[in-house]
Amino acid sequence: MKRLLALVLLATAWSAQAAGDAAAPLKLWHAYRGGEETAIIQVTQLFTAKTGVPVELLAVPYNAYADKLTNGIPHGAGPDVFIFNHERLRNFHAQHLLAPASKLARGDYFPNALEALEVDGQVYGYPMSLKSLALYVNTKLVPTPPTTTAELLAMLPALSDEKAGRFGFAYENGDFYFHAPFLFGFGGELFDASGKATFNTEGMARSLAFVKKLQDDRFIPQEITGALVKSLFNDGRVAMIISGPWFAGEVAPSVDYRVVALPTVSETGIPLKPFLGVEAAYVSSQSKQAEQAQALARFLSLGEASLVRTTVGRQIPADVAAYQLQAVKDDVLISSFREAAKNATPMPNTLEMLRVWEPMKLALRAVLQGGTEPQDAGALADRRYRALHRERPPDASPLPWLGLVGVMAVGGTVWVMRRPAPTLPFKRRYPDVALAATYLAPASAGILVLVFIPFVVGLSLSLFHYEPGQYSFVGLANFIDILASRGYSISEPLSFYFTLAVTLLWALVNVVLHVSIGLFLALLLKDPLLKLKGVYRVLLIIPWAVPNYITALMWKGMFHQQFGAINGLLVALGMEPVSWFTKFSTAFAANVATNTWLGFPFMMVVALGALQSIPQELYEAAEVDGASKWTQFRHITLPLLRPAMLPAVILGSVWTFNMFNIIYLVSGGEPGGGTDILVSEAFRWAFQRNQQYGFAAAYSVLIFVVLLAWSSFTKRLMRASSEVMG
Amino acid sequence: MNRPSKLKMAAIHAGLMLTCMATLYPVLWVVKMALSPSDSLTLTVNPFPESITLEHFREVLLGTDASGRWLFGRQLLSSLVVSGATTLVGLALAVSAAYALSRFRFPGKEGGMQTLLITQMFPATLMLVPIYSILEKLHLLDSLTGLVLVYATTALPFCIWNLKGYFDTLPRELEEAAVMDGASPAQVFIKVVLPLARPALAVTALFSFMTAWNEFILAATLLNDPTRFTLPVALQRYVGEYKVEWGKFAAGALVISAPVMALFFALQKHLVGGLTAGGVKG
Amino acid sequence: MSEVILSGIKKSFGQNLIVKGVDLQVREGEFLVMVGPSGCGKTTLLRLIAGLEQVDSGEVKIGGARVNDVPPRDRDVAMVFQSYALYPHMTVRENLAFGLTLRKFPEAEITSRVQEVAGMLELSHLLDRKPKALSGGQRQRVAMGRAIVRRPKVFLFDEPLSNLDTALRVQMRGELARLHRRLSATMIYVTHDQVEAMTLATRVAVFNGGILQQVGPPLELYNRPANRFVAGFLGSPAMNFLEAKREGSGFTGKGFTLPCPVDVPADAGKVLVGLRPQDLRVAAQGPLAGTVDAVERLGFDGYAFLSTEAGPVAARFEKGTNVTVGDKVSLAPVADSLHVFTEDGARALRHPVDRDSLEVAS
Repeated sequence: MKRLLALVLLATAWSAQAAGDAAAPLKLWHAYRGGEETAIIQVTQLFTAKTGVPVELLAVPYNAYADKLTNGIPHGAGPDVFIFNHERLRNFHAQHLLAPASKLARGDYFPNALEALEVDGQVYGYPMSLKSLALYVNTKLVPTPPTTTAELLAMLPALSDEKAGRFGFAYENGDFYFHAPFLFGFGGELFDASGKATFNTEGMARSLAFVKKLQDDRFIPQEITGALVKSLFNDGRVAMIISGPWFAGEVAPSVDYRVVALPTVSETGIPLKPFLGVEAAYVSSQSKQAEQAQALARFLSLGEASLVRTTVGRQIPADVAAYQLQAVKDDVLISSFREAAKNATPMPNTLEMLRVWEPMKLALRAVLQGGTEPQDAGALADRRYRALHRERPPDASPLPWLGLVGVMAVGGTVWVMRRPAPTLPFKRRYPDVALAATYLAPASAGILVLVFIPFVVGLSLSLFHYEPGQYSFVGLANFIDILASRGYSISEPLSFYFTLAVTLLWALVNVVLHVSIGLFLALLLKDPLLKLKGVYRVLLIIPWAVPNYITALMWKGMFHQQFGAINGLLVALGMEPVSWFTKFSTAFAANVATNTWLGFPFMMVVALGALQSIPQELYEAAEVDGASKWTQFRHITLPLLRPAMLPAVILGSVWTFNMFNIIYLVSGGEPGGGTDILVSEAFRWAFQRNQQYGFAAAYSVLIFVVLLAWSSFTKRLMRASSEVMG
Repeated sequence: MNRPSKLKMAAIHAGLMLTCMATLYPVLWVVKMALSPSDSLTLTVNPFPESITLEHFREVLLGTDASGRWLFGRQLLSSLVVSGATTLVGLALAVSAAYALSRFRFPGKEGGMQTLLITQMFPATLMLVPIYSILEKLHLLDSLTGLVLVYATTALPFCIWNLKGYFDTLPRELEEAAVMDGASPAQVFIKVVLPLARPALAVTALFSFMTAWNEFILAATLLNDPTRFTLPVALQRYVGEYKVEWGKFAAGALVISAPVMALFFALQKHLVGGLTAGGVKG
Repeated sequence: MSEVILSGIKKSFGQNLIVKGVDLQVREGEFLVMVGPSGCGKTTLLRLIAGLEQVDSGEVKIGGARVNDVPPRDRDVAMVFQSYALYPHMTVRENLAFGLTLRKFPEAEITSRVQEVAGMLELSHLLDRKPKALSGGQRQRVAMGRAIVRRPKVFLFDEPLSNLDTALRVQMRGELARLHRRLSATMIYVTHDQVEAMTLATRVAVFNGGILQQVGPPLELYNRPANRFVAGFLGSPAMNFLEAKREGSGFTGKGFTLPCPVDVPADAGKVLVGLRPQDLRVAAQGPLAGTVDAVERLGFDGYAFLSTEAGPVAARFEKGTNVTVGDKVSLAPVADSLHVFTEDGARALRHPVDRDSLEVAS
C-alpha cells in the first residue's frame, strides 16, 4: 500500500515538475525514425547553436500523429512547428491549423514542390524533402535498366519463374499510390476540367489492363505488400521493384542495386509519372513565437540543414541550392531520385484528392484479385466515389429539436409529478439513499465527465454535418442517408443493411465460437485428476494477455496468400493455397479465426468459474438416476451454467460488436468493404473519408440503438434464466 | 467418483495439447520475428527462428534519446505509474460503486446498471475528440493524471459489473454480523467485504491494469514528452508512415506483453473464481 | 436495565405486511423464546430489535430508551445467526475479538475477555484456526462466543441450533440454558422448534401470521392456550380438535357425545373441543370410536392415529396395550381434560384445571 502511494506521489510530482518549466523552447513535432530522426536532431542543434533558441523535439507515432495535431493545435497544446507530408495540407488548412510561410522565398525551392503546398495562391509550409517513386534495379540480374515498358516486358519472361518463387518485377500494385504512375503514363487523368475526380476513362482501363497482364503472366507476385517486396528484393528473388527513397535504407548490403527513373510507356510515349509527395515544415497558426517558428521552419528546409538531411537522413531535398553541393552531387542515389522526381506530378492537396483513394483501391483490388475486367473497373470506382462523396445536406433549423427537448422535459416533469404518491415516505423506502450516494459519487462523477458527456456529445454530433473546420446542423439528414442506403441496393457492401447483417453475423459467429470453445476447454480442464492442469491453463490464457492490435497484425501476416503460415500448412497438407482476402467468405473466416483466438480464453475462464459453482451432488444424483454423461451435460451443466454465462455472453457480444481492431487490421474490410462491420464503417467515415464526423456519429448512434435492442432482449433472457435458478 | 479410463485421459491431453499448439503458434511466430536478425515481416510456416540475435531486444530496451536519457527505463516507469495509478483509482471507484449497487436500495439502481452497459456500446474511437476537449478544460492535457482518469473511468463499467456480481454472491449475514459487532458501514466494507472479495478484486485490478497498459492512441495524443510516453506509444513508433520495423515491433510487443502474462500467471488461481462478469450465484 | 419493549410494531416488505402490530415486553434477565411457523414474522421481529431492519411504525425500546433511530452498533445487543456468519478470513481469535477491536477496547482487556470466553466454550485450543477448519458444533460455539465476549445488554438468537444434528442440539441446548443462568442477561431466541421453546424459555411468545398469539411461561401456554393456534402449535402430537355442539349436559358431534364440564356456559352453541392425545386412552368402551390408521411405538408408550367420524384423532397408549393398524377401537378421555374453544378457534372458553399447579399447591 505504501509503495503504491509513493508511486502516485511520484507521478504527481512528475507532472508538477513538467508544468513548472518556465523556459519556452520551440516545439517541433515529427514522426521520423532512424537516420531521418538523427538528422532532424542534428539540424535542430545547429539551429539552436546559431540562434540561441532551444528546440524541443517530439517524435510521435505516425498512427496517432494527425489526431494529435488536430486535437492539440486548436487547444493550444500543439507544436510551434511540425513536419508532415503535404497530403493533408488542405485538411489542416480548413481547420485553421496552419500559418502561411511568411519567410519563404519561392526561388529557393523546386516549383513543383511549392505547387504542392499552395492553397489559393498562398504557400503553407517550407518544403523539406521530396518523396516520389523510382525503379530499384538489382544490377546483378539486370545490368541495363529498362527505359520503356516494351524493354521491361521483353526482359520479364527470362527473369520470372513463379514455381521457384522468382519474379522479374514487384511493387505494391493494390495501392493507388503505386498505380498512379501507370494511370498517368497511359494518358489517364484523375480529375476533369472542373476538378472533380473521374475514373471511367480510357487511360484508367488501359493502365489497369497493363498491370493485370503483368500479374496474369506471373511476372509479379500475388497480393503484394511492402514487406513482401522488401524480402523478395533482399533475397535477390525479384529483379526490379518500384519504391520510394525510404526503401534505400531497407536494402540488404548484399544486394547491388541502382535507382533510375520509371520507364516510359511505349504506347503513349509518356513516362510513368509518379505522384510527388512533399514533406514540409509547417508553422502552427497557434504558435506563440511565430517569428522564431517561421525562422526554424525555414532553417530546416534550406542550407546546412538540407545537407545534413541529405547525407544523414537520406532525404531528397526540395532545396534547389542543395544540388550544387559536391556532397549531394556525388550521391548517386539522391541525384537519381531527383531525376526521377522531375517527371513527378505533385499530388493535389485538394480535399477532392482525399476522396480518390478508396474508390481506386476498390477498382485495383477488383481487377487484380476479383476478376473484374479492366474496362469495368472505372465504373466501379466511380460508383463508390459517388457513394462516399456526400454533398452537404441542407441546413435544418435546430428550433424544432430544441422544442422537442423542451416538450420532453416538461412531459417528463409532469409524468413524475402525476405518478401516484408512494405509500411510504421516500426515506422509508430507501433508507440507504444517503450512504449509496456517498459510495456512488466518485465513480458517477468520473463516468459522467469522461464517459457520459463524450457520449452525449457523440450522440448530438449525429445531427450535424462536418466539413473540415465547421459544423452545420442538418437534423436527421445523416440518418436518412444511411437508412435510405443511398444509391446502393441493400445487398451491396456499404449499404447500412448489408453492414448490419455482416455485423450481426460477426457477433453471432464469434460469440458462439468463444462460448463453445471456452466451455469445451473448461470441461476438459475440469477433471480433478488431470495432470499439468495449471500449465495448460496458463498457456491457454496467453491470447488474452496479448494486446489485440498485436494479435491482429500477427494474424494478418499468417493469412498472407503466398507466404503466410496458414497457407503454408494447407500446402503441407496437400491442399490448394487460399487467397484469403479476395472472397467475402474467406476474409470473414480470417477475421473470425483471429477474433476467436483472442476471445476464447475469457469465456474459458468464465466457464471454469461457472462449472465450479455447480454442486457435485447434482451429478451424483443424476448418476444414481442412471443419466448418461450427455444427459447430465444437457440437463444439469447447461441449464445451471446459463445464469453464470449469460452476463459474460452479453458483455462479450457487445465487445465483439465493437471489435474494431481486428476488422480494421486483419481484413481491412476486404473485399471491397464487404467484411466491414458497423464500427469499422463508422471509423472510416470519421477518419478516412474526410472526417465526416457527423455521419460517423450517426452510424455510431445506429450501432448504439442495435445494441440497446439486443441488451433489452438479453435482459429478458436473464430474467428467464434467473427464474430457472429460483 | 470413478477413475476415468486411460484412453479418456489420453484423449483429453491430446485435445488440450492441440489447442495449446494452436494458441501458441502465433506467439512463437512473434518470438521468431523478435529474435531474427532481419527487420522484416517473416512469412514462413516454421515458427522457430533460423538464427538468433538479441539485437532487436537490445535496441528496444537500451535505446537512448538525443540527450542520452535511457528512454525505455523512463517509459517503463511511466507505464507502470499510469497503469498502477489507473488500477488504484479504478478499483477504488469501482469497488465502492459496485458495493452500493449490490447492497443498497436507492431509486434508479436498475437504470444505473443498464447505463453502465450502454456506455460500453458507443464506439470508443469517436470519443477521442470530446475527451480531449474535456481534459483541456480540466487542465489535464499532457499529464499522466489526465490519462489515468480517462483509463480508470473507461475501465469502470466492466469493473463495476464484475465486482457487483461478486458482491451479490457474498452472504449478507456476514455484513449483518459485523454491524451487530459494532462496525460502521465503512468498517463493514473495509474489514469484512473487501477481504472476502479478494479474488474479484484481483481480476478487476488486472483488467484495469491491462486497459491502461495496452492503450496507445490516447496516450500518444495526450502526452507531449517522450520520456513520459507509455510503452505502447513507444512501440507504435516502430510502425512508420512508409515502413514497419517488424523485428523491433515484435521484440517490443513481447516486452510489453510479458508483465501482463506474468500477472495472469500470478493471479490465475483468482482468475477463475473472481471473474463473475456480473452474475454467478453463490 | 435491559428490558426490551415493543409497542405497536408494524413492518412490511414491499406489499407484504409481515409484522402486523406487535406489543411485547421482554423483562430484564428473561429468556424469551419466539416461536411460530415459518413466515410468521418472528425473525423479522428479531431483526427489528437488532436494528438490521427499520420499523414502519411502532416503537422499540431497549433498556428504557427508544432505539427506533439508533444504529445497531449503539443498541448494545449481540446476535447469533442461523448460519453463524463467522468471518471466513479471520481466525477464531480474530472473530471473537472483532467486536471489541471495533469498539477500541484496550489490547489487554480484549485478550483476557477472549481467553475467558474461549475457556467457557472450550474453544481455547482452536483460537488460531480459521472457521473453515472447524466442525459445525465448534462453529456454533464461536458464533455464541462472539456474542458473549461483548457482554451486551441483550442477546438475540436466530435459530442458532437448526444446523446441528440432534445429539449436538441437545447438548447445546443444555449449554445455552447454563449460559443464561450464568450471564443472567436478557435473551431473545427465535426458533420453530417447540422443544427448544419449552425447555429453554422463561417465557414463550407464539406468533402466527405476523400477530402475537400468546405470551407466557411455557407450561402456562401448554396448559392454558389462548386459542386454537397456540393449543395446536405446542405439544406433540398436536391437540385433537372436534367440532361439537352443546346439547343438554354434553357436547355432541359427528358420532360422539362427550360429557360437558360444568364451567361451560349453557348457551355456548357450536364450539371446538380440544383434547390432547395424552388425555385420551384406548378403552373397551368410550365416547369416541374409530379405525386405527397408523401406530407409533416409542418404547415406553406410543400413539395411535385413528380416523373417526369427527375427523382424525391421535391418542396415547401405554406399553402393553395391543393396538394394530386396522383395529376398530374406542377412546375415552381422562377426567377433566377438555379444552373448549369458540367455533372459529379464536378464543378459549375453558381449560382443564391446571394439574401441575394443583400438584404444587397440594
